Amino acid sequence: MRFAPKQFGLFLARRLAYSAVVLLGVIVVVFALVQLVPGDPVRLALGTRYTEEAYQALRTASGLDRPLVEQFFSYLGNALTGDLGVSFRSGDPVTVLLLERLPATISLAVVGLLIALVISVPAGIWSALHEGKVSDVIVRLTSQFGVSIPDFWMGMLLILLFSSVLGWLPSSGYVPLTEDFGGWARRVIMPGLTIGVVAAAIMTRFIRSAVLEVSAMPYVRTARSKGLASAVVTRRHILRNALVPVLTIVGIQFATILGGVIVVEVVFAWPGLGRLVYDAVAARDYTVIQGAVLLIAAMFLLINLLVDVLYAIVDPRIRLE
Amino acid sequence: MKRRTFVGGFLAVAGLAATGCSTGEGVDLSGGQADFGNPTTGPVLRVAIGGEPDQLDPHSSSAYFTFQVLENIFDTLVQPDENLQMQPSLAESWEISDDQLTYTFTLRQGVSWHDGSPFTAEDVVYSYTRLIDEELSNAYKLAAVSEVTAPDDHTVVITVSQPTPSLLTNLGGFKGLAIVQRNNVESGQIANTPIGTGPFYLAEYASGDRITLRGNADYWGEPVTLGSVEISFISEPSTALAALRSGEIDWTDVVPPQTVEELRRDESLVLESLQSTDYWYLALNLKKDPWSDVRVRQAIAYAIDRPSILQAVAYGTAVENQLAIPETSPWYTPYDTYRLDLDRARELLAEAGFSGAPMELLATSEYPETVVAAQVIAANLAPLGITVQISQPDFSTWLDEQNQGNFDLLMMGWLGNIDPDDYYYSQHHSEGGSNAQGYSNPEVDELLDAGQVEVDVEARKELYARAATIIADECSYIYLYNPSVVQTWLPEVSGYTARADGAIRFGPVTLQES
Repeated sequence: MRFAPKQFGLFLARRLAYSAVVLLGVIVVVFALVQLVPGDPVRLALGTRYTEEAYQALRTASGLDRPLVEQFFSYLGNALTGDLGVSFRSGDPVTVLLLERLPATISLAVVGLLIALVISVPAGIWSALHEGKVSDVIVRLTSQFGVSIPDFWMGMLLILLFSSVLGWLPSSGYVPLTEDFGGWARRVIMPGLTIGVVAAAIMTRFIRSAVLEVSAMPYVRTARSKGLASAVVTRRHILRNALVPVLTIVGIQFATILGGVIVVEVVFAWPGLGRLVYDAVAARDYTVIQGAVLLIAAMFLLINLLVDVLYAIVDPRIRLE
Repeated sequence: MKRRTFVGGFLAVAGLAATGCSTGEGVDLSGGQADFGNPTTGPVLRVAIGGEPDQLDPHSSSAYFTFQVLENIFDTLVQPDENLQMQPSLAESWEISDDQLTYTFTLRQGVSWHDGSPFTAEDVVYSYTRLIDEELSNAYKLAAVSEVTAPDDHTVVITVSQPTPSLLTNLGGFKGLAIVQRNNVESGQIANTPIGTGPFYLAEYASGDRITLRGNADYWGEPVTLGSVEISFISEPSTALAALRSGEIDWTDVVPPQTVEELRRDESLVLESLQSTDYWYLALNLKKDPWSDVRVRQAIAYAIDRPSILQAVAYGTAVENQLAIPETSPWYTPYDTYRLDLDRARELLAEAGFSGAPMELLATSEYPETVVAAQVIAANLAPLGITVQISQPDFSTWLDEQNQGNFDLLMMGWLGNIDPDDYYYSQHHSEGGSNAQGYSNPEVDELLDAGQVEVDVEARKELYARAATIIADECSYIYLYNPSVVQTWLPEVSGYTARADGAIRFGPVTLQES
């Protein structure tokens, strides 16, 4: 693989600038959305019985009495320095709350993604290489089924089977991996499976079409006509070139899992970001919602950036575009 | 306790798949322990509640999940027994002056805070003064108090501006009036690391996951036999139930109402369901025609099918009522004017000259029972020519709509009432702070005013019985039901009592280790 450092540096700089612009856009949108949501957070924080003085005091303390533009710029300035404000409910710094929850979500997402990869990569490739055969039909039907399963339902079925009936696995809770690996593993497996199966179904279909697409390329035909062994063509020409689109879907799925496992985290009482967002939405804890959305968007951008960089390494043509 | 150091997080996003461990420096709070307290030894009781506390300062919180935890950490001056009668707690005894204006409390001796420092009268003065001076959300419970003093270390004198028979209930009715420690408040620690005088102290708080309370070996009351209580937060009822059935937890109140019947028959669990002190009601907007006509309101009360509403929202676990106060309370008044009677309803409407109109019912997605009940009510009122439009905004919008009078009919509940004044004054007095329906009746005002200062219990009961009857006759509220407190636990747990006020107390619990 040839490597042109200057070209690559330029690509990286452009890509970083692009991410920064998107992130700024996200901050604007998140700020605006929260303004548009009905309901007064101060009133909610105080409950049903409170004095007018207490209301005004909290409103002033949280800066909600200042003009919108001023609120936005102070939010932006603070956000860029890592200060996302304090939670309305608990008074804790939002950054601390988010970072406390991040490890649980990441460990769950990694397990979910690994399960998804272990299922989808062989299934997708097998299915593509046996296009139209019975095994292909079975894989396609199974993945169609997997895509349609709601995750909360799958989670509850797993709990019913492995916790209630068989009593093998705990239905809820979390132990940090660093504290007790066995305890962590026993608890992560069911939510991980719930996420992994749904993601695997999506990824299988994607990998299958990527492999099929590459198989139809002229250079594959050329390779075959040169008389190369079928296994060599598959390994060197098809799979290698199918890697780029597959990287994309893996990246997108990982980011989606990181940001979107709210239902699974609620079902399994998993103390991650999704659960935090769920509780924050229920309590109209605006600063926490803002912070969480921002963090999730930032993770999305970061993963996309990594995927793009990997592309550029795998396929130099991309850098030139 | 709650704040943790974090490093692994961002690295992990970068693909290293680290799982957020604590750094070497600072306090390791993910597995950290409180640096105070004298622990008991004994088994661990594992408990699941439906959500996480917002913070742990009893004077600042208004969240139910917070009080479930704080019930076991803090004490109040007096406390309700199972029949909700006030009994000694931090105050061993009290005397009320002949003019009913001075309450002299003698404090229990030898009580210490979880950090070992002695509890004194100064702490009581500090706690109440804080609530009043800082106008914290529970300060209204002390509205009648004009002065709190401590003549010596074991005596507290509370002076009230008028006789206040509800004072003891206000002081002990819930942990929002807990006695807190000055140092703990002034250091700002109380929101995360509260120090109380109760049977348990906070040992560990893993945000989003669980709180561990350790038994307090120096507790002034019955010795605690549990070593600790591990409280986890499970909002999904079927998960909580699975956790209980598989023995991961020993106790929970996160019970799906539709499974109550099945659980009752399950001999491997103990289920307790009892009528709570909360109540749910309908209120018509009295400032709007035609609802200002009492006959129209009564017609609606006759058209509501309470048993169907109960079945729909609570699967039969709630108890129908026609006044606010449940039958289990000493302040209960029998009353059964309204039952489903469409002929009577039509007669009343004809008398009022009402032939039908659209109606907006204000429910809220925050309390799903209001939405479910609204659907039943809509069906109930259709035969009267009333087309019910259900709106279900979020709760803060709901509060705004209510306060601005933008509704024809609304449904809501009042929670955590003990004294009859809690049940009626702010809702039905012309000057009441929560009289959004706009009810005003000079006779009721007089009765409710008299009830606030009448110290003779029997005379007071009569005042409230009379007021409640008029309120229901005139449909200021149309009462629907008292929900139940439903809790379930494993048979190994003993000494636990489910309470009508929903307070969960694990101090007296013993656990048979299997």
